[in-house]
Amino acid sequence: MKLKEFVRPSSVEEAHQVLEELGTGGMALAGATALHFMQGEQPVTAVDITRLGLSYIREEGGYYRIGATTPLADIQRHRAPRWALHEICRCMATHQLRNISTIGGNISRVFPWADLPVVLLAMDASIVVYDGADEQEISADEFFRDQPARRLAGTGKLVVAVKVPALQAHHGFGSVKVVRTAAAFSMSTVAVCLSLAGEKVEAARVAVGAAVGIPQRLPEAEKLLAGRHIDAQTLDELARTVETGVACRSMEGMSPEYVKHLTGVTARDAAERAIQFARERAQ
Amino acid sequence: MKDAELTNPCRVSFVLNGEPHTFDTRPDEKLLDLLRRNGYRGTKFGCGQGTCGACTVLMDGRAIYACLLYAMQAEGREVRTIEGMGTFDKPSEFQQELIDGGAVQCGYCIPGMVMSAQALMEAESTYPDEIVKEYMDGNLCRCTGYEKIWGALRRVLDRREASLKADKAEKPAP
Repeated sequence: MKLKEFVRPSSVEEAHQVLEELGTGGMALAGATALHFMQGEQPVTAVDITRLGLSYIREEGGYYRIGATTPLADIQRHRAPRWALHEICRCMATHQLRNISTIGGNISRVFPWADLPVVLLAMDASIVVYDGADEQEISADEFFRDQPARRLAGTGKLVVAVKVPALQAHHGFGSVKVVRTAAAFSMSTVAVCLSLAGEKVEAARVAVGAAVGIPQRLPEAEKLLAGRHIDAQTLDELARTVETGVACRSMEGMSPEYVKHLTGVTARDAAERAIQFARERAQ
Repeated sequence: MKDAELTNPCRVSFVLNGEPHTFDTRPDEKLLDLLRRNGYRGTKFGCGQGTCGACTVLMDGRAIYACLLYAMQAEGREVRTIEGMGTFDKPSEFQQELIDGGAVQCGYCIPGMVMSAQALMEAESTYPDEIVKEYMDGNLCRCTGYEKIWGALRRVLDRREASLKADKAEKPAP
């Protein structure tokens, strides 16, 4: 992406105003790591939003509110009793990239291999968008229904935070990504968030990415898990349901059938982790 | 590229290796290019796409890829490059250990390795292997197979950890 100008607004309000005035000729810049790879003939004005006090992680009521320009490394290092995002952030890219890439940038422009949108879908997170007057909370389901960057472009609207529910007792979260090398892009990435009632799954949210075009929930898999006893049969059925329920694309020498199988196995692993998580944090 | 060739010229000021500097640049110039055209050539161009780690520098103490950072993003920050780590006459402890351990073959990856190790040493006070791998996971070496680099770093970290523990033991509890 060619940049013709670089501006540094001093407040979120000013950033919105500048972006609105620039229309499609402006682009919010946080870590900017993806910007280097974006194609575009028309140079744009970069609006640096990294100095607006949007780098933080706060516990607010039953949520963690994460500022949009919080680097992935900070999310990885954060620890709290009902916090679960650190593990997936540790598995994303490399140390140097985690230091500069931000959660807001990662989710505002969704790449097929992105892990965080999958995690946020499974966790029933919401995305806080500033529209010039108010902050709007948009559910992850709504935010990721198509490419967010297309909806945000030219409007001046700005992702300012992400709200992730704090996991309650008996809630579990598991996220597994399949990669060829540790720092490579995901080939398949699955996240499961569930609640347990004894040895039964009370309710579950399952989301998948990378293997499919755009991150998506898997309602059939969620329906299957709800009310089921936790045993090997349930997990095998989950893997089969995911395998038959998703339309996978071929990638890097792997047929769609193989990617489907891989995604089914990955879903099983993610569910096992979520169950283990819930059992370990039963109180 | 000379300053006169800059299109849409602008300026960026940051502290580089302890000294305040102001550079002419352009909005889409990368920090790596700015550093190299201003004589800081120890920071290497490798892949140019945030994979190999040869261009690693520290910004506000954190390791970053200079090839994936616009120079303008460094405004007001504190940047350190390999030139700020040691010299031929007076190498840093890790640099000396790399030499002594025969850990340098072509040497292209070494400036990046040294910078990532520096970030690790400054940010952490204990150095379990898991943490060391986390800090070094963005630096590739295509010559050595990592064994000797790892060995050299491990020796430095073990000494540093022992020294930090000794310091702590000497200080009475408040």
